[in-house]
Amino acid sequence: MWQTNLKILLVVLGTIGLYTWVASAIPQVASEVPEELMFSNDVTANDLVMAGEQLFAGAGTCTACHGLGTRAPNLLTDHAGEGTIGQRCGTRVSGLDCKAYLQASMTEPAAFVVEGFPEMVFQARAFSDAQIWSLVAFLQSQGGEVTVTGDDMERAADAADGTSAPAEPSGGSPVAASQTTDARVLLQENLCLGCHAIDGAGPPLGPNFDDIGGARTAEQIRKGILDPSADAAPGFDAMLGVMPATFGQSLSATQLEAIVTFLAARK
Amino acid sequence: MALTPAGLLAQAAEAANQSTVSIPAYGSFPAPGSRVAIWVAAQVHLFFAAFVLGVPMFAVVAEAIGIFGNDSKYDKLAKEFTRLLLVSYSATAIWGAILSFGLITLYPGLWNYLARIFAPSMWVYVGLFFFESFTLYLYYYGWERWHDGRAKLMHWSLGILLNVWGTAVMFIANSWLTFMMSPPAEVVPDTAPEMVRFWSAFANATWMPINVHRMIANVVFGGAIVGAYAAYRFLTSKTDEERAHYDWMGYVGNMIAIGALIILPFAGYYLGREIYEYNQQMGITMMGGFMSWLWIIQAFLIGVLFLAGNYYLWVGMGRIPGAERYMPYTKWMLVVLVLGVIVWATPHTMIANRDELAAMGGTHHPFLGVLGVMSAKNTAVNLMILTTFLSFLLYRRANKRTVVSWARTGTMIQTVIFVLAAAIVLFYGVYGYFVTAIVRIGFSVYQVLAVLAAIGGVVTLDIMIMRGAESYGAIRWGQMPPRSQYALFILAVTFTWLMGLMGFARSGIRQHWHIWEVMRDTSEFAATPPLGYAAQVISWCVVIFLGLVGFIFWVGSLAEKPIMSHRRQDSLPPTDSRLASAPTGN
Repeated sequence: MWQTNLKILLVVLGTIGLYTWVASAIPQVASEVPEELMFSNDVTANDLVMAGEQLFAGAGTCTACHGLGTRAPNLLTDHAGEGTIGQRCGTRVSGLDCKAYLQASMTEPAAFVVEGFPEMVFQARAFSDAQIWSLVAFLQSQGGEVTVTGDDMERAADAADGTSAPAEPSGGSPVAASQTTDARVLLQENLCLGCHAIDGAGPPLGPNFDDIGGARTAEQIRKGILDPSADAAPGFDAMLGVMPATFGQSLSATQLEAIVTFLAARK
Repeated sequence: MALTPAGLLAQAAEAANQSTVSIPAYGSFPAPGSRVAIWVAAQVHLFFAAFVLGVPMFAVVAEAIGIFGNDSKYDKLAKEFTRLLLVSYSATAIWGAILSFGLITLYPGLWNYLARIFAPSMWVYVGLFFFESFTLYLYYYGWERWHDGRAKLMHWSLGILLNVWGTAVMFIANSWLTFMMSPPAEVVPDTAPEMVRFWSAFANATWMPINVHRMIANVVFGGAIVGAYAAYRFLTSKTDEERAHYDWMGYVGNMIAIGALIILPFAGYYLGREIYEYNQQMGITMMGGFMSWLWIIQAFLIGVLFLAGNYYLWVGMGRIPGAERYMPYTKWMLVVLVLGVIVWATPHTMIANRDELAAMGGTHHPFLGVLGVMSAKNTAVNLMILTTFLSFLLYRRANKRTVVSWARTGTMIQTVIFVLAAAIVLFYGVYGYFVTAIVRIGFSVYQVLAVLAAIGGVVTLDIMIMRGAESYGAIRWGQMPPRSQYALFILAVTFTWLMGLMGFARSGIRQHWHIWEVMRDTSEFAATPPLGYAAQVISWCVVIFLGLVGFIFWVGSLAEKPIMSHRRQDSLPPTDSRLASAPTGN
């Protein structure tokens, strides 16, 4: 009897031990927490690049897609004969320099989709402004000149605090608040144009802003901003739930009315 | 509430003032720390919960076979399943309490946030748990009293009710944990819990996929544990009568486990697809990010399951007269299974640093990389499922001699169905290399449908072919070599370990978030550990669970021994072809 029990125990423990050993023998990859970055105004380009590289290869999980050549464009090596990301970033979008392009690519990934690849799944709201800027600096360093400075982060931080206008283009949180009542600036700041087209340009993920006043009343637009999940705009049922429901909290009443008035007038 | 602009603005202002998700406070736990304490409590609770939810499903089916097939052996088997359930119930509740108190004391911020959203469902959960417990007591203790006629049907209804309560309890608990994985899009860090719409949080994106996956997995797990219990009782049996009974019980447990395992990958596919639909970043983290190696371990474990399950069947054919004619095929089935495991466990696009990339000579291995893609893996796993189904079929037919005139034609049609299904699986597997990823993903649906259609078609034909079949002789229950029983232990340990691994995967893809992109984990344990560390914790959970289950079953057997010693002849397992065909409902 005891021999049978011993055999069973050995089989059970041996099986458990085998699985533990196999799982310990393969490459060990942990998911680190993105480090909270604090930079002073006189931060050096080298510090930013080092922090960005750490984030890129670690907690940012960028290498899960970039570098395989199938899920996303290569950044650290040549892509489509255009060189590394630092070499090609300044010419990707007309009117945007390298720094602005890289920063906007991360905060508005839907706006800059590289041909042949799906939209980047990077979630900007999961990262702080300092982390985004350090990534920009690292990517610039891959064949280009690093132009990110402490001022960029200071402007972004001020914008988030509401103490000054944000850096252009805005960085960091998609709901970074400012005091402006200029509807166009607010649409830009709140990343509305990441999904809604205006002036004939932009992604068609939400209702087009060029003629929205003809299709929706001011009341409907206001309700759509404050409680976007309550009802889908005609033809956009599939996108229900995508738009953040936070604008009632992040916009002041004056700002909200500025946007509503602006959009309602576009017929 | 009417949605007026003023009302909405007031609502928004109130939400902003109430503020929101503050940084959670954490308690402390001596070594090994809070995370491992909660991890172990949750996992062991889940092991017991899966067992007590899975077993009633097949206990009630076994009882139904006993009632409607007028076969008392199945009724006794159902009662024995339920007895195992009874003694495991308190352990489930104890570990649930440990988990709850652990969350309250070690993660009070998270607990508070969840309770503010889910409080109503928590009270319903408690009520259902109460009903479930007392229904179980009635079900078990009323077994002999309500044994005949309408009273028996009423008793069987109690079994169904037990499953209803249990399923509802599981669905509620699943809503809490899936909310942590996939909170609705409108919930952001600044959203006050009171502003979260209950149903939106409850029926979140991954809720139903997890419900479906867990229901099937619970049956698999319950079957495996019952199989191990039977194996232990077989090995320690004193009489041939006992040995025959537990041989049969082990066979039934294995049949349930492997049978449900065959459809589990399809539920897993549904869950994975919903995770990608919800958030691609989460999907990529799961399949191609830091967890990519986890799926290689999973493939290894499932390979062991397929091999051990089939091995048990092949050895079992030794006690079936007439099975000799099928034995030559087993070596070829073994070849298919081994090749399938090898392909399935081939890595492909792993996270690698520059040194590792240089060592590999690129992002993929020049030869093995071709086998590591989904086209090859889907093909391998579908062929493994077909092969395992073939094992079951041969086992089922082993001691039968057909009498219908068209039996030969029917068998040829079955063969054609098998070959066609395998050809479709292979065709889409090869074709997948020549199309884009999005098209390739769709191919897996065709492969799955081909296999399911083949299983359905072949079983239907087999039931018709075997109508009135004669027997080559009685199945010699109890005449199994002891090594076959160790395969059942390996199955149970592997299922348990696999559940722990998948628990880590499901929870780990949230990374440093308690609630994905809503509440950040700011504790010292926020980083998600590598697989080696996770494996150690999983192994401890498995040891604790199996140790406790062993003790509980031993305690249960103390009361049961006198019953076994007076077992009547009519309680012996069936010895003819009825048994081999029973699990398929024939």
